[in-house]
Amino acid sequence: MEENRQNPNPEQEQLPKFRGLYRHVKISVKALDRIIVACIAVIVILVALELRDPGFTITFDSRGGSDVAPQNQMYGELLEQPEPPTREGYTFTGWYTDAACYELWDTQNKTIETDMTLYAGWEKLE
Amino acid sequence: MTNPIANLQRVSADYKTMDKKDKKRFWTDMILNNALYILMAIFIIYTAIEQPNFLTLGSFANLITQVAAYLPLALGIAGCIVLTGTDLSAGRVVGLTAAIAGVFMQKTDFANKMFANLPAINGWWIAATLLAVIAIGAVIGLVNGFFVAKFSLHPFIVTLSTQLITYGIILWFFALNGNNGQPISGLSAEYKNFVGGAMFRLGGVAVPRYVLYAVILTALMWFIWNKTTFGKNMFAVGSNAEAAKVSGVNVFLTTMLVHTLAGAMYGYAGFIEGVRAGSVAASTGLNAECDAIAACVIGGVSFVGGTGKISGIILGVFVLRIIFVALTMLGVDSSSLYIIKGAIILCACALDMRKYLVKK
Repeated sequence: MEENRQNPNPEQEQLPKFRGLYRHVKISVKALDRIIVACIAVIVILVALELRDPGFTITFDSRGGSDVAPQNQMYGELLEQPEPPTREGYTFTGWYTDAACYELWDTQNKTIETDMTLYAGWEKLE
Repeated sequence: MTNPIANLQRVSADYKTMDKKDKKRFWTDMILNNALYILMAIFIIYTAIEQPNFLTLGSFANLITQVAAYLPLALGIAGCIVLTGTDLSAGRVVGLTAAIAGVFMQKTDFANKMFANLPAINGWWIAATLLAVIAIGAVIGLVNGFFVAKFSLHPFIVTLSTQLITYGIILWFFALNGNNGQPISGLSAEYKNFVGGAMFRLGGVAVPRYVLYAVILTALMWFIWNKTTFGKNMFAVGSNAEAAKVSGVNVFLTTMLVHTLAGAMYGYAGFIEGVRAGSVAASTGLNAECDAIAACVIGGVSFVGGTGKISGIILGVFVLRIIFVALTMLGVDSSSLYIIKGAIILCACALDMRKYLVKK
């Protein structure tokens, strides 16, 4: 329906016509300028807000053991060796990056790159 | 663009003849058109001041490593964007091919090996795996291309459905042989060395082999885009499919091939992804297409269709990576990075349209 009502001569239209993916877009340069400025403003404000409290949060999921306090570290830093959690009838085997406890997090060498959760590995006592 | 110095001289000569109003417009145009580059420059300067180890050779090595990892995907998707489409299935195809490559490349003596009876890992087996994952990627791309070309379905719809179908296959795959959705780890040393072995060191940080592979792939794509009939046809179809058809271009075949080529690139990206991440999970490759699309749009591969350059794609990937490396070093957390990524895509599209309108 929209197509039929369109002006047959596109040159007389107020707004320029796009090709391709934008072919149904009707927008002026002024509106685009506002969008660009708004996007940049959002990015800058967000970064500014984040920089008031920089760093990445590492949370510890002790999976049934005693609670371990989350840490806040900057990029490229090592994890502060957390107090090992305790659990009745189990021995603690280390912190893992996945809940299935396959990938051990090397607290001595691996540096922090993003927010993450580490999972406690448990071995059942005989 | 031919001669930057002559271009600059011409612009400055033009600038001198402008009156006050035109000068003001010149500057607003300049600032808005380069908004993302200016933003990047600000982030670089700020990060360099805050984090002294940002402007080091090691951090540069880290940057080119990341660019090399993200470039193949962007090179693949760019072809689809030139055809005024896109490809939303890219990330999941990377996930699937990474999983398949990972399973074929597990250590022979690894306890949790998914398939026990695979041959020992040597050069031939690695080459065969690489070809196999590229072929799998290409087949998924071919399916995309077929539906887009044959029924003129919008690529968004077609690739959205292949994205979901591929994810279903990934979940199936991870449930095979009692694996029960566990990540695939225990990748063999040969495989890790073939993909991520250090070529040389820059400032103490190893530059992996896949940087070299990315350079080779980029050269190959440049050749395909600029020197072959297929490349020229691709741009012709992208800028006006009707006109291309009239002048004798096989639109159906071109569209299919562009998507197939893109799929092959995702297959390669999947092959290196496992080594990069250390293990492959069902979520590997999630949202990877967003980064690639954003990089293309920043680099001037326009959604208008029929325009784009390989150099632009490289630039786009670099800009995006620099911004993210800088922001991670500053300690901006990943949830905010998603919002920033979204704002960058919207901003890049608005810039893309603006350039098109102003030129007109």
